[in-house]
Amino acid sequence: MPISCKTECGRNAVLKRPKTGDALCKECFYSAFESEIHYTIIKGELFNRGDSVAVAASGGKDSTVLAHILKTLNERYDYGLNLMLLSIDEGITGYRDDSLETVKQNRDDYKMPLKILSYKELYGWTMDEIVAQIGRKNNCTFCGVFRRQALDRGAAMLGVKCIATGHNADDIAETVLMNVLRGDIARLKRCTAIVTGSEGTIPRVKPLKYTYEKEIVMYAHYKKLVYFSTECVFAPNAYRGHARALLKDMEKIRPACIMDIIYSGETMTIKDEVSLPAQRVCVRCNFVSSQEVCKACVLLEGLNKGLPKLGIGKSSKAKKMLDEYNLKQTESSGLKEAISDLNDTVSSCIAKAKTCKSGLCSEENNVNKNGSINKNVNKCNSNKCCIGQCISKENSQIQKSISNSKVNSLLQQYGLDDTSTDNEQLKLVTNPHENGHEDVLENSDDEQSHLDEDNTCSASCGRMGSLQIGF
Amino acid sequence: MSKCKKCEAPGTIVLRKKDLYCDSCFLNNINHKFRSVIGKNKILSKNENILLCLSGGTASTTLMDMVHYGISLDSHKKLRVNPYALHIIGPGNEDNVQVANSVIKSCKHYGFDLYIIHIAEYVHDCTSLIKNVNAMPETDSISSNTFNEILNGMPPTAQNDFILKVKQNLYVKCAKELSCKFIFTAETTTTLAINLLSNLTVGRGSQVQNDIGFCDKRDKEVTILRPMKEISKEELNQYISIKKIMPVHNCNMLDNSLQSVISTFVTDLQENFQSTVSSVCKTADKIGVHDDSKYDSRCVLCKNVFNNSGSKISALEATVYSRLVSSKKREDNNEFHDNSLIEQTSLSMFPYINKNLCYGCSRIYSEMTLCDLPDVVKVHLQMSDKSK
Repeated sequence: MPISCKTECGRNAVLKRPKTGDALCKECFYSAFESEIHYTIIKGELFNRGDSVAVAASGGKDSTVLAHILKTLNERYDYGLNLMLLSIDEGITGYRDDSLETVKQNRDDYKMPLKILSYKELYGWTMDEIVAQIGRKNNCTFCGVFRRQALDRGAAMLGVKCIATGHNADDIAETVLMNVLRGDIARLKRCTAIVTGSEGTIPRVKPLKYTYEKEIVMYAHYKKLVYFSTECVFAPNAYRGHARALLKDMEKIRPACIMDIIYSGETMTIKDEVSLPAQRVCVRCNFVSSQEVCKACVLLEGLNKGLPKLGIGKSSKAKKMLDEYNLKQTESSGLKEAISDLNDTVSSCIAKAKTCKSGLCSEENNVNKNGSINKNVNKCNSNKCCIGQCISKENSQIQKSISNSKVNSLLQQYGLDDTSTDNEQLKLVTNPHENGHEDVLENSDDEQSHLDEDNTCSASCGRMGSLQIGF
Repeated sequence: MSKCKKCEAPGTIVLRKKDLYCDSCFLNNINHKFRSVIGKNKILSKNENILLCLSGGTASTTLMDMVHYGISLDSHKKLRVNPYALHIIGPGNEDNVQVANSVIKSCKHYGFDLYIIHIAEYVHDCTSLIKNVNAMPETDSISSNTFNEILNGMPPTAQNDFILKVKQNLYVKCAKELSCKFIFTAETTTTLAINLLSNLTVGRGSQVQNDIGFCDKRDKEVTILRPMKEISKEELNQYISIKKIMPVHNCNMLDNSLQSVISTFVTDLQENFQSTVSSVCKTADKIGVHDDSKYDSRCVLCKNVFNNSGSKISALEATVYSRLVSSKKREDNNEFHDNSLIEQTSLSMFPYINKNLCYGCSRIYSEMTLCDLPDVVKVHLQMSDKSK
C-alpha cells in the first residue's frame, strides 16, 4: 500500500527523508528541500545583496545541485546575487576531463559565466604527473591543498565577494570524524563553521551544510539535472575513506546521526590552554596559510626538487629533508664541473651576505638538474623566467606590507642575488628570454593582463623564494 | 634473541606489534601509568574515601587489583586511599547473579567492602540505595519491570547511552551515601576512544570533557576519576594473563547500535593504524566544556550544562526546520519563518530541550515509545518547571 505524503497534500509519498523520517511526495520534497536551503542562507546570513558569488563547480552532484538551487532561489527570493561558476582542472585523465564537460553543460543550462583554472597553468604539474611522482598514497593531500589555493586564486581573478562550495551534511560529519581520528584540533574547530575564511581572504560559504547527500542525489535525479557521478580515480586510497565508511555504517542505524555529529562539532569548545595555529598569509604566495610558508608552496617545492614526500608529514621533517638534500647537492662531484664558471659570483655573493648562501645552493640545484639530467629544458626556461619575475613581485609586496628595516635590507641583498643568479643562468642555459623577462617586469602592475603568468610564477617560483625565507 | 626494551631479560610480551617487554618491566610500566595519572592531577588528598565501580569485567577487575597492590605497598609509594566497592546489577536478567557472585568473591579476596544495588533502583527517587554489605540485594520485581519497559521502548543506541547516564547517576548517589568524595571508574584508553566517537554521534560534543577526560566534576560534591585512561585494552589483556586474573566476561553494549559500530570500527582501525586510539584520546584531552559558573541550569538526566552553538544557525534549528517544512504544505514563502511555529515544532521534536534536557538526552526522550520517564526524572522536570 502506498504511503501518503506527510503534508496531507493528497499525493503518494516517493521518499522518506533521512533527516526527519518524514515521507513526502515529489512536489512537497522539492518545496521542502529548496525552502530549507533558503532558510540556511537567510539564517546564516551567507550573502549580501549585490554580491558576486563564485560557485565552486566540479560537475558532480553537489555542485550541480548547488548551482541549480542558487539560481532558482536567487530568482525566487530576489537575493540580487551575481552568480558565476568556477572550476579547477586538476588534470586527472578519465575523471576531470569528463566532468568539466558537465560543468560546461551547466554553464549553458544555467547561463552563468564559467572560469576554468588548471593545476598545469597554476603550478606546472597535472595531478597525473604528481601521482606518477608520489604514487597512489598521499596524492589526495596534493590535490586538496592545491585546489584550496586554486579556488582562492580563481575567486580573486573573478573579483567575487565569496565562494559557495557544495559541501553537504555528510561531508561535514565525515570531516568531523576524520579530524578526531587524526587528532587535528585546529581543523576540528573550524570544519563545522558555515562561513570560513579569516580577514583579508575571500570567505567560503556552505549553503548545503544541513542537506543530506541522499537528498541531493534524489533532487538531482528527480529534477533530471546533468551531473557527473564517477568517483575520482585516485581517491580510493585516502584516509578519509575510513571516516566515510564509518559514517555510512552509522547512517544505516540512525540516519539522524549526521545532524547530531554536526551539532556536536558546533557546540564543542576547545580548551583555552590549547594553542591553535593562527591563520595568516604565506610569505611566498600571499595566500592564506597557518604557517610561514603555506602547504601548497612546500608541496610544490618538493615536487620541483624531486622530493615529493617533502610536504607529507610534519613540517620539522621537511626542514630536515631539505637540509639533507642541499648537503647532497653540494657534495655531488658532477656538479662542480657544471658550475665551475659560476664560482666568481658565488664567492662574491658569500662575501656580501651569509644568508644568500642557501639561495645560491638552490641555484646550484637547479643548474645541476639542467646539466646532469638534461630533462625538461623547456620547463626550466619558464622557471627561470618566473624566478626573477616572481621574486620582484614578492619583493614589492613584502615591501609594501612590512616596514621592518632588517627585512628590507635582506630583501635588497636578495635583489642583488637575483640579478647575479639570473645572469648565471643566462650563461648556462643557451636560450635566455631576456626581453620577455623584462617585459613582464615592466608590466607587472597590469595585474589583469598578466594574471596567468603571474600565477604560474608565484607558484612554481616557490622553489626559489622558500629557501631564502621559509626554510 | 629479542630482548626487553627496558632491561636485558628476554622479552615475553609484544605490544603494538613491535615493542618487546619482559613481564616485570611490563607490570611496572602499567602500574606506573595508573599511578602517574592519579599523581600528576594532584586531586586526591591523603586517606580519601574512594568508590570503585566494578562491573566484573576485565578493566574493573584490573583496577581493583592495582588499587589493592597500591595500598599494600609500605614504602612512600603507598597509595593512600580508603576504597569501597560498588557493583550495579543489570540491566537484563541472564547472568546477573553469576556476575554479582563473582564480584563478591573477588572483593572478598582483596578484602574490600562491596555494596551491590540494582540498576532499576533508578526509577525511584528514594533516599537510600545502599542496604547490605557483601550480599546480594533483594530483587524488586516491580521496579525491575518498569525499568526494562523503559529500556525496551528505545532503540539500541539510545539504550546504550541511557544506561551509561543512569549508571553515572547511581555512582554519584552511592558515593554520597558512603561519603566518598571520589569515584574510580575503569575506562581504558580504548573504551574512552570509543566513547568519544559515540558521544559525538549522539550530539554530545560539548560534554566530551566530562565523559572522556580524567576528571568529571559535573557533581559539586563527588568527582568521578578515570585512573586507567592511559592503559589500552591490549595492555589490559596482557596484565590479566600475567596476573592470572579471571574476569567474568560481560559486554553490556547492545548490537546494532552506533556504539557497537564504532567499537568494531576503532578496533579494526587500531589493527592497521596503531596510533588510532591514542590520537583520538589526545583529541579528547583538548576539548573542554563551557564555563560552568555562568550557567546554572543542567540537564536532569545527564547533569551537563546546556550549551549553545553561538552561531546564527545550528544543526538543531536546521533539523527543526526540516520537520516543519516536511509536515506542512507550503502556501506562502514566508510562512515558515514564523517563530512561534518553529518553537512549537522544536518542542515536539526535541522535548524539554535546553530547559530540562540537553540535546542528546532530548533525542533519547523523543525516541522512547513509552513516553514515560522514570519518577526521578519526572520529579526533576516538574521541579524545574515550577521554578520557572
